[in-house]
Amino acid sequence: MAAETTRPKKDTKKIRAAIKRRKHATYTPVKPDMQLGFIHNNVDCIGCRACEMACKDKNGLPPGPRFRRVQYIEGGTFPEVFAYKVNMSCNHCAEPACLPTCPTGAIFKRKKDGIVDIDSTLCIGCRRCEAACPFGAPQFDPEENIVKKCNMCVDEIEAGRKPYCVMACMMRVLDIGPIDKIWDGSLDTVAIGPHDKVVRQVKNMADIELTHPSIGFVAHSKGKVE
Amino acid sequence: MSNQNDFDRLSQRLNLSRRSFLKGTAIGAGTLAAGGLMEIKYGKEAKAFAYEPYPRDDQLETVVTSCAHNCGSRHMLVAHKWKDVIVRLSTDDGRYQKGGYFGKDGNEEPQLRACLRGRSYRQRLYSAERLLFPMMRVGKRGEGKFKRVSWDEALDFVARKMIELKNKYGPTAILDQSYAGASYGVLHKSDQIEGLLGRFLGMFGCRTSSWSVPSYQGTTSSSRWTFGTIQDGNEDDAFAYSKLMIMWGWNPAYTFHGGNTFMYLRMAKQRGCKFVVVDPQYTDSAAAYDAWWIPIKPNTDAAMMAGMAHYIFTNNLQDQEFIDKFCQGMDEGTMPDWAAKSPNGKENFKDYILGKYDGQPKTPEWASKICGVPAKDIKKLAHMYATTKPAALKASWAPGRNAYGEQYSRMAAALQAMTGNIGKLGGCAEGVGKAWHAEAVAYPYDQYSNIWFASIKSDRWAHCVLNYPNVRREEIGLWPRQDATDGQIPNIKGIFWQGSDWFNQLTNINKEIKAIEKLELVVCMDSTITPSGLFADVLLPVATHFERHDVALPWYKGHYYIHRPKVIEPMGEAKTDFQIFTELAYRIGGDVFGKAYNPKANRNYFNYNDDVDEAYLREWWEGRVMHHQGVEMSWEEFKRRGVYKFKLPRPHVAFQDQVEKGVPFQTPSGKIEILSSELANISDWTKTRYGYHIPSIPKWIEPWESLNSPKTSKYPFHLVSPHPRWRTHSIFNNCSWLRETYEQEVTMNAADAKRMGIKMGDIVEVWNDRGKVVVPVYVTERCMPGVLVIHEGVWMDRDENGVDRAGNPDFLTLDDPSPAGAFAYNTVLCNIAKTNLEHRPGWDKLATARSHVFRREHRREL
Repeated sequence: MAAETTRPKKDTKKIRAAIKRRKHATYTPVKPDMQLGFIHNNVDCIGCRACEMACKDKNGLPPGPRFRRVQYIEGGTFPEVFAYKVNMSCNHCAEPACLPTCPTGAIFKRKKDGIVDIDSTLCIGCRRCEAACPFGAPQFDPEENIVKKCNMCVDEIEAGRKPYCVMACMMRVLDIGPIDKIWDGSLDTVAIGPHDKVVRQVKNMADIELTHPSIGFVAHSKGKVE
Repeated sequence: MSNQNDFDRLSQRLNLSRRSFLKGTAIGAGTLAAGGLMEIKYGKEAKAFAYEPYPRDDQLETVVTSCAHNCGSRHMLVAHKWKDVIVRLSTDDGRYQKGGYFGKDGNEEPQLRACLRGRSYRQRLYSAERLLFPMMRVGKRGEGKFKRVSWDEALDFVARKMIELKNKYGPTAILDQSYAGASYGVLHKSDQIEGLLGRFLGMFGCRTSSWSVPSYQGTTSSSRWTFGTIQDGNEDDAFAYSKLMIMWGWNPAYTFHGGNTFMYLRMAKQRGCKFVVVDPQYTDSAAAYDAWWIPIKPNTDAAMMAGMAHYIFTNNLQDQEFIDKFCQGMDEGTMPDWAAKSPNGKENFKDYILGKYDGQPKTPEWASKICGVPAKDIKKLAHMYATTKPAALKASWAPGRNAYGEQYSRMAAALQAMTGNIGKLGGCAEGVGKAWHAEAVAYPYDQYSNIWFASIKSDRWAHCVLNYPNVRREEIGLWPRQDATDGQIPNIKGIFWQGSDWFNQLTNINKEIKAIEKLELVVCMDSTITPSGLFADVLLPVATHFERHDVALPWYKGHYYIHRPKVIEPMGEAKTDFQIFTELAYRIGGDVFGKAYNPKANRNYFNYNDDVDEAYLREWWEGRVMHHQGVEMSWEEFKRRGVYKFKLPRPHVAFQDQVEKGVPFQTPSGKIEILSSELANISDWTKTRYGYHIPSIPKWIEPWESLNSPKTSKYPFHLVSPHPRWRTHSIFNNCSWLRETYEQEVTMNAADAKRMGIKMGDIVEVWNDRGKVVVPVYVTERCMPGVLVIHEGVWMDRDENGVDRAGNPDFLTLDDPSPAGAFAYNTVLCNIAKTNLEHRPGWDKLATARSHVFRREHRREL
């Protein structure tokens, strides 16, 4: 009964035209004027997942797709144990692996701030991007039969604010900023403590050489990569 | 089209998603809310849950409100709504208070950012389990079969039955089991002692109340004896000044105790504060603060603390000047003259620790044998605590939810006092931890507010009902009365639940199930159909805090008020608790009762409550907040802004005036009573609410069950059931966003699991003589051997043999309270084994199967 209400109608003409366009286009990576990225403190994060809930609520997601995922890492042997968190959504990569896989050209990277977004009116739910992403960012929404992902709350950014996840962080250990400033430690943010150093790669994530993700971490001593 | 059918099935499977829910409600809710709900389906801007384009904030109405549960803090929620539907929630971003702007944060006026539970609130508000109409039971009690009835029918039934019970069985026939589930508004308050229900039943003249607080009665009793008050807490910014923080059983990363406590603790860490966590589990708090983890056997905390006290005394590390000035009964020199002749107060604490009375010095080595912590670690911690200034020993509630839990809290207070860390910035006297005092009451508060005809320990109601009249007063912790009815055992024949899922939350559920069969009236008032509700005769739908006008208070720490307007109209036929009680009062006692119960209202209040609620709140704001607390902001401005944050002249520290200015403590002696004057002078314990003997000084007393007791031959594991992160007790159990981030499981040590052939994810049964639950197992090195952990609050789901398939640990807990009233939630021995019994997680895991991948990957295979 009334199931058509939950699945938006597709404009097939528009999609066909997009595929055609896509076939003839040569892929050239977008070099943004300024690249925005995330910073997450793996150590001070208490793993509360308020960011995840804020994201689900903002984006009206059903159970299943999770744009933001807080990974709980633990190890050691009783009683010498350790635990930390690695928190990721979409990394809005310099060379997004998802983008060239999209048959309709629905995925695009913004020139202005490097945010990678999906035009949901063009997405046909083929899920190729989902397989291509080494970080698990694209998430399939079975209700709408399309892939969705974090777009850093572009509407909030355009209104001069920050994404819902960042503004939800109870510990203030998740933030965004120009990624160069995050990496060289010059960003003014409480996510990075006075003695903390920012790294680009931690354990528990794919090799950053794959896509050059726009994210920095304050790593746990056990999560550091030599 | 088969594709279409598949999709329909899928939609049904995902029935907790809001999109499909709203569809259902719009049809079900009929006339009341149809306008707003129906329109969101297609209208371009009105697509409530569109992925693209988003409804932007400037297309929506923004309303400041807050969350409302009995959780540990109170944060701002900002509702973004389209007509009468809340489309999304955000939280404090610094903009809303006076002088605020986007991003304003910091110590003076920190943002009140909501936790994951608050952020998932729309799923509770619009859940499939939302109770929308009055219902009456048609099947057997507990079977869960109800029919929809009119308010008239439901209220008439309740009113008639109440009168019948009172006439037939007397003034103790109705048990008030209101609790804090819908609490923390100044007007609409559900509360164990003085809430709306208590006042209603008290005026009606038929009420047995429940006096012990499940979460922290041990601590409450201890703080009342020791400090004369439960306001022993610092505001959370004071923690940023500690140099050593001992988190004893405290896990704010899960409980969020105090709105920003965890954030200030991070600040302390950045300033070089050392952290210690004493806990059977290496908690997320231990991890985030890089703490020294001391695993301890559950229920043995008081012994370890006694060992620390011994080390401090024998090495002369105590702050003797502080002791001499502020303490009673810490040592021989601080004993009052009367003590030698008192029935129960001849001993002092130091001589007890040194073994003068029983020949057993409470050395670290002695303690080590009991608590399992190496003596060298006990000494090291004692040395650190006694020599680091200021140092905070934050004695949390959980270790007090035990047999003789009050002794742990008392022992902690003794350590806090002997090291001189009370009343000092960076120190800590908690305890209960209540700090800044809010003006809490806008509802009518008068001589009727807490009338009761019997009052019992809260976890003894089933025992009382099952054994009446052959019950001794001490078995149920009967509160003494000053009249001829003193000592009369209540003849309980009915229960009222308001803001309370106690049937699911109190101890020894199987015993409760036997008891409830003997009752003649069970009323459940809630906004959700809870497991308790399934055992009710009448279900009354209550408006959530989004659907009524109120003001929110900080719960535990924090100094602010948050306005809570009626964001949306009540869904279905929901009414507020206050409306329901007022209408019942009119039905039972006409204008006399109705007017007395709700003086500002007339009978039309049941249909229209806006003006009356506004009048109560305005009176409260102008009379109390503006007048008593010196706030200058007008009620109108407060309503417009939505929040008022107090700026305190200095970080609020409990007992600072006592220590700095010599103001007496609120105890009978005016001192910190390590020797309690009250307890010292008791000779007949059966005539007290405690029922049984309690030592006047803190002592180690062997609990009824622990890893040291002979019962371990049959039940070798000790079960603890802490507060979960993903629920507020049982609230939010039905939210799929939360459910996909965790599993209701039993946590088990890796070596124990290996020995028993249990692997991660196996379905196991956990049982003892009281009951059995079925859960998946989480195997980890972060839990000490011999200990199992199951978080409290999951909604019970019994099979035909009474086995709980959902994993509610209260099927295993003891309903024997400690003398001082502490619930013995964490005094549980049990066993565990792999099982073929059915496990029912209570929701569709398949719907979110993919997201489970992200839970705990990259883990060494265990």
